[in-house]
Amino acid sequence: MEETLLKIREVRKRFGGVYAVNGVNLDVKKGGICGLVGPNGSGKTTLFNTILGLHKPDQGTIHFNNNCINNLAPHQIYKLGLGNAFQIPRLFFQMSVLDNMLVAVRGHQGDKLANSLFLREKWQEQEKGMVEEALSILELVELDKLAFSPAGELSGGQRKLLEVARGLMAGSSLLLLDEPAAGINPVLGKSIFQKLRDLSRNGTTFFVVEHRLEILFEFASWIYVMDKGKTVAQGEPQQIVKEPAFYEAYLGEG
Amino acid sequence: MDPLLYVFDVVVYVGIFGMLALSLNLEFGFTGLANFGKVAFFLIGAYTYGLLSQIGIPFYVCLIAGASISAAFGFLISLPALRLRADYLAIVVLTFGEILRLIVKNEDWIAGGDWGISVSRAISLAGASPRVNALVNIGLVYLCLGICFFVLQLLANSPYGRTMRAIREDEIAAEALGKDRAKYKAQVFMLGSAVAGVAGGLYAQYLQCVLPGMFMPMVTFTVWMMVLLGGPANNKGVLLGAVLVEIFDRGANIAKDYLTLPVDPANLQYILFGVLIILVLFYRPQGLLKESPVTTKALELVRNDRSAVKSNGKQ
Ligand SMILES: Nc1ncnc2c1ncn2[C@@H]1O[C@H](COP(=O)(O)OP(=O)(O)O)[C@@H](O)[C@H]1O
Ligand SMILES: [Mg+2]
Repeated sequence: MEETLLKIREVRKRFGGVYAVNGVNLDVKKGGICGLVGPNGSGKTTLFNTILGLHKPDQGTIHFNNNCINNLAPHQIYKLGLGNAFQIPRLFFQMSVLDNMLVAVRGHQGDKLANSLFLREKWQEQEKGMVEEALSILELVELDKLAFSPAGELSGGQRKLLEVARGLMAGSSLLLLDEPAAGINPVLGKSIFQKLRDLSRNGTTFFVVEHRLEILFEFASWIYVMDKGKTVAQGEPQQIVKEPAFYEAYLGEG
Repeated sequence: MDPLLYVFDVVVYVGIFGMLALSLNLEFGFTGLANFGKVAFFLIGAYTYGLLSQIGIPFYVCLIAGASISAAFGFLISLPALRLRADYLAIVVLTFGEILRLIVKNEDWIAGGDWGISVSRAISLAGASPRVNALVNIGLVYLCLGICFFVLQLLANSPYGRTMRAIREDEIAAEALGKDRAKYKAQVFMLGSAVAGVAGGLYAQYLQCVLPGMFMPMVTFTVWMMVLLGGPANNKGVLLGAVLVEIFDRGANIAKDYLTLPVDPANLQYILFGVLIILVLFYRPQGLLKESPVTTKALELVRNDRSAVKSNGKQ
């Protein structure tokens, strides 16, 4: 049996009196691209933020790599190997594009107070490889020429690309991407998914919210459908399109 | 009075307040922590120095003790910083400074209350002239300033410095990228407070006294002025700010020995400070020098490669 990387059971998250996530059950298996679809407001982003530890679930359990992560802080969850790219980019606008990428590095020696002062030779050396990795990812999203520009000077589409690129930076074992192709030209959007597929063959697993179903269904191996805060259907892309629940979610309210 | 001593006086003030400006720059300029209670940590350093030197402890130990106790208080202040919104934190820290001042003012047993206590010079040479004494002070202050500047520059140009800026820009995003913001903020507050503590010790021994009146909230605003004017997140910039503000500030103090004005020069100075802050925020919000980006060897290599490629391309 395939290994389950992310296991979510009966997760609920309420804002005031309204449940944004209202009973989600799903498993993300190791390897490949798993898709999450559903109409606007169905709770996909809230679910992602709950997995990341940015919201505490009101109910239910979330396991990552067989560790319960319900009560961990976001930075601890990140260190376990769970990365993310936000739907609305949250960049460090006054910092350069390259520095935005380098912030995401896990376990940079120089990121500790004492090491930053006393282990300079060591982390300076370590950083060369990281810069190379960052530049090669930036090349993929056509931002390498802008590596030294402040992130605040990027256009809307470029900001989105940098958000995704920064997610790819850290070598997460599971990466949550919230609409990575939104607002990006379709050709580039597709090439990002091709890159995700390549990376997934090297051991990264992707859990992706995407509204461009034609791209997602081409690359994803499994799809979950959310509606009104619940997971209502799942299956392979070819199967899911035949599910009544899939149509109801999208068309139900007309 | 010897006019050269006025100049030396300004130079010492620039050094001491330069350290305060560097420390606020670490907290606010780089990390985005608006510390409106800088004077509290300056006070702690000064009183620690004053009380310890009275019982005959060597000056460098007094300075280190001042830095350590100030850092400990910095840690305590960082705890609400994690829970409170930035504007509440500003009020908490501002109040903290005033409370400390009122305690040393009203509790005579601590350090003489309003009258304060006298403090001996860190380094006193027998029979030295005032000029020599001033020069010794300049040497001591600038040695400390140099060390602080060096360390803070290393910090700013490291992955740690990158994380500080990331926390300033968007602390939630930084947290989601694996940064324990509580830990970073606590460390930054401790380090910033330690630097302010050393500055306080130097100030006490320079003026040879500690009095509650030396630690009015105006001190904090003077340091803010230096940082905003010089350029937040630029250590050289805030030192430039310290030079400009001190020339202005000490200049006005000296001028009042010579000039007869229809208004009290001290009040005039506050008004001018206010106007200056408004002008800076309006016309040059980034300060005189703009933020200095993170510089590391690996980044420099890429930069150099790129400029080499560019210049080759042109040939
Ligand atoms: N921070 C919040 N406070 C209150 N309501 C929220 C918050 N975030 C999301 N919601 C609500 O939760 C519901 C689900 O939103 P969201 O998770 O963004 O859906 P999706 O990503 O599927 O479009 C929406 O009704 C939205 O208005
Ligand atoms: Mg969403």
